[in-house]
Amino acid sequence: MQRRLVPGWVGLILLFISAAALSVAVGPGGFTGTNLSAVMHLRLLRLALGIIAGGVLAVVGASLQGLLQNPLADPFTMGVASGAALGASLTLVLGRSAGALAPVGGFAGALTTMLVVYGLARVRGRVTVTGLVLAGVIMSFLFSSLVMLAMILGRRTLGEAVYMMMGHLGVVYTGTSLWLFAGVAVLCVAGCAWLFSMSRSLDIMSSGEEAAETLGVDTQRVTKTVFVISSVLVGAVVSFTGAISFVGLVVPHLARMLFGPEHRRVLPGSFVAGAGILLLSDVLARNIVPGGLPLSIVTALVGVPFFIYLLRSRL
Amino acid sequence: MKAIELSSLGFGYDEALVFDGFKLDVGAGEFLGVIGPNGAGKSTLLRLVAGLLRPARGSIRILERDLRSLGRKEVARAVGVVLQENPFAFDYSVSDVVMMGRNPYLGRFQSPGKYDREAVDSALEFVDALFLRDKRINSISAGERQRVVLARALAQEPKVLMLDEATSHLDIAHQQLIARILSELNRQGRTIVLLSHDLNLAALYCSRILLLDRGKAVACDVPERVITAELIRSVYGVDPIVTRHPESGRPQVMLPRDATGPQPVSD
Repeated sequence: MQRRLVPGWVGLILLFISAAALSVAVGPGGFTGTNLSAVMHLRLLRLALGIIAGGVLAVVGASLQGLLQNPLADPFTMGVASGAALGASLTLVLGRSAGALAPVGGFAGALTTMLVVYGLARVRGRVTVTGLVLAGVIMSFLFSSLVMLAMILGRRTLGEAVYMMMGHLGVVYTGTSLWLFAGVAVLCVAGCAWLFSMSRSLDIMSSGEEAAETLGVDTQRVTKTVFVISSVLVGAVVSFTGAISFVGLVVPHLARMLFGPEHRRVLPGSFVAGAGILLLSDVLARNIVPGGLPLSIVTALVGVPFFIYLLRSRL
Repeated sequence: MKAIELSSLGFGYDEALVFDGFKLDVGAGEFLGVIGPNGAGKSTLLRLVAGLLRPARGSIRILERDLRSLGRKEVARAVGVVLQENPFAFDYSVSDVVMMGRNPYLGRFQSPGKYDREAVDSALEFVDALFLRDKRINSISAGERQRVVLARALAQEPKVLMLDEATSHLDIAHQQLIARILSELNRQGRTIVLLSHDLNLAALYCSRILLLDRGKAVACDVPERVITAELIRSVYGVDPIVTRHPESGRPQVMLPRDATGPQPVSD
């Protein structure tokens, strides 16, 4: 494993740099003298959002897979993403011209979901990882249905709902939401650093909760902290981008292939790979079809074959 | 000095108490075997002492200190535990797994140092598994894995080592190897608590045996006084043949071919 470390990092950083360059260089509305700075402004914001979203989804996915001892966990297992989508839809439906407030509604929805899932998973004062998964999955189903219901009752087009459920980086920024985004970016970096500081505990948790406790890990504290940080970060990201799938599921596996299972390498590796892959997916989503595609369509088209390859090569 | 001291211990998972007014003293340097039918409370006892479960009543003292006053890392420095099942969701290297045993000594932002790496190597060497150090945990055999998990517990440098059915799905060579390692650790002064369904192994190696039945200590004495036909019959509900181990004189249990005695007591 040790010897793959350096080539692994070189590969990831090359991937990231070329994705970032493509993301800025390619797109509809080419560069002309008059609109150059406007286009650059939009594309740089898109780049920043892509890095944050891809990085956070991948890091949260890796942390949750470690915490839940389940390689199929992803940032949306805990139900937060659909809660955010519901919050954002309700803001759109109820607020008439409240497009700029959708991220606030989304974040509120994410936090509410987090509290509900936490409450459901808490039995006799203990929060178990199984409880979190079950409560999260159930809430996901409920909230996804409620998004559709809100959209239909609110006479919104299903197109809007699709973008909310399947993700995009084409956020329209106003003055306020630009500040919101800056806050989210700071929050996300701090949250990822916090998760990184728990790397060893996550490693140990992957041999089971009881064994981890006998090794001196406060599994209740780790479970609660990872759950809360993950929910807040995913809620913050999803309220801007909608639910982008597959990045949080597949990228951690790629990082483990490159660096082995230790979280102190998997988490930073996931951040860089997640950002790079999301940016590349966005370039594709924007350019293969006129008018663009929801991001999850592209991440699924790229992610599923990779996941199948992984599954087959490990069996 | 007492390694483990339980007094008027009460614990239950639901309404019914598994233990009620339970008492046990384990002296430092003892090699205690804990036997009893399924559901007797062996694993519950281990989990209480390791701090995985909280007693409803009574007190637990480890190395003369109240368990409640100890932090999780302090407990992990005093007591090493080997559980029966050790699944690993991700494929860590053997040395990474054993390094997890150094966690109780490391601060949150502290990386393992030279001493920690030496402790890992010497723990692996002690269980005769140093050659596995760069192997992946999910690619080695069950016997090798159990030694690695034992090495992880040794890397904790605990005074007390507790094992829950650590040998139950191993071949006889590995059973003997683990038992010998435990004897050697015991000779070096560690207190060993071995939970086992293997009465013969317990009788052969332990200095004292606790026979549990439904949360009660039926007997707690040297193997000769616990592994008797009467006690085994009354607790397990089988009619055993008890003989002497030809080399050590310790009692050994065999089953008659055709069961004529009473049926197994239900849990």
